[in-house]
Amino acid sequence: MATETPTLESLQAALDAQQAVFNMHQAMNVEVFYWWCTAIMVMIHAGFLAYEMGASRSKNALAAGVKNILALAVIIPTFYLFGWWIYNAFPTGLIPIEASGALPWAASMGPDVQDMGTGIFWAAFALFGATTGSILSGAVIERIRVSAFLILTVVLGSGVWILAGAWGWHPDGWMLTEMGYHDVGASGVVHAIAGFFTLGVLINLGPRVGKFINGVPQQIKAHNLPMTLIGLMMIIFGFFGFLGGCIIFNGGDVGWTTIYNTPTNLSAFAFNTLMGFAGGVIGCYIATRDPFWTMSGGLVGIISVAAGLDIYAPGLAFIIATCVSFIAVGAAKKLEKMGVDDAVGAVAVHGVTGVVAVILVGVFAGGTPNMDGNPPISLYGQTVCAIVMMVLGFVPGYIVSYLLKKADMLRVPTNVEDLGLDEVEILAHPYPETAPSITPVATNIDLEAKGA
Amino acid sequence: MGTSITTWENVSAYFTFADNPMMLMLFTLGVVGIVAGLIRFIMKHEKEAFENHK
Repeated sequence: MATETPTLESLQAALDAQQAVFNMHQAMNVEVFYWWCTAIMVMIHAGFLAYEMGASRSKNALAAGVKNILALAVIIPTFYLFGWWIYNAFPTGLIPIEASGALPWAASMGPDVQDMGTGIFWAAFALFGATTGSILSGAVIERIRVSAFLILTVVLGSGVWILAGAWGWHPDGWMLTEMGYHDVGASGVVHAIAGFFTLGVLINLGPRVGKFINGVPQQIKAHNLPMTLIGLMMIIFGFFGFLGGCIIFNGGDVGWTTIYNTPTNLSAFAFNTLMGFAGGVIGCYIATRDPFWTMSGGLVGIISVAAGLDIYAPGLAFIIATCVSFIAVGAAKKLEKMGVDDAVGAVAVHGVTGVVAVILVGVFAGGTPNMDGNPPISLYGQTVCAIVMMVLGFVPGYIVSYLLKKADMLRVPTNVEDLGLDEVEILAHPYPETAPSITPVATNIDLEAKGA
Repeated sequence: MGTSITTWENVSAYFTFADNPMMLMLFTLGVVGIVAGLIRFIMKHEKEAFENHK
């Protein structure tokens, strides 16, 4: 059997063909990585769902759950409508730059066989936005109107957080280019923003009936504490998708980088995510010996080191997480004394911890260089950006909830709060076999009669 | 009918049933309408539910 003698041209053609195959598989690997990060992030929402329902009293359990599910359902389409455009249009501040490719009618915002990136990044960012909505959702349970919550969650999940993302996470974001901002795991752009937005809402929403008697805070017990603990552990699982989505899978020979184009890898993230988790659990257990806070400590721990996941020594991450847990617990107690009823400690766990985490990067990693001519990390830059995150989160949350309050659209009536939202709004019981026998179970006929 | 392509050769972006700006704009308005309609629907449901439990 005769074989042709290879020529230089035929060898080059074979090499080009191999390179094309390699490039295609590398592009597919990028898509596969972010696809599974997004899927794992859905577990964050399953966790928040269980955690919020468990943290509610049984008369409000289903209402808390439905509210959380609907948050996910409205953030996804609104993030498609304008969230992705905000990220691409506002890196330099409040004046938009050209970003028509991110508008919902652009060619890249849909099936495009030549574009193996936009959709998968959009999906990951949409789920980041949904996480902010879930952070708000838990804090306001048992007294907010679902309609008001959905308006607020759209503002937060498809607007405010992604504006912070444009400033602090975009390659051209002014926080990076002018301040050397470093927040690889979104302690600031997601957690601080959502936490302080929540604080603004809670001030206008007010506490649940019975939370304060003569100004003294009362404990409103969760109806299913085990479910909240399992939910929190599911959130920890989802965090691995969230943090995986925060790292950049580059083509070519670059490998992994942070969102700031500095070198890193999943190993660095693995060390510090787990050490942060462990330190947070230990710190919150010592600080409270309370099951809910012990498990919340896992969140505190990861958030406290997330901004510097790529640059901390694991032992330092562990110590930071342990120490920040005491700050978070102290902040939660302080807020309660000030009359703020945060049903799940979201402001302390996400807001305060997120701000502290951003500042600590300046303390422990000041002087670390950035890439592309951006200034190095500094305590000054991190502190300024942390303050910006607090203000950017708090102000819209306060203003929008204030307007809803003035329009009498924010809170359910007091008698409805007493009866329970499930009885009034959901027309279903979470545990029907334990409902009083004189309470008729709603049927479809009943629902129709009630105009539902 | 409805498809924007007749062959897979040299295809890049394709938007079945929306291969012109007008249709894409209408779909966008449809998404806006459904999200806004949901919130309006919930407001109405809340008002009626609260009235029924006064």
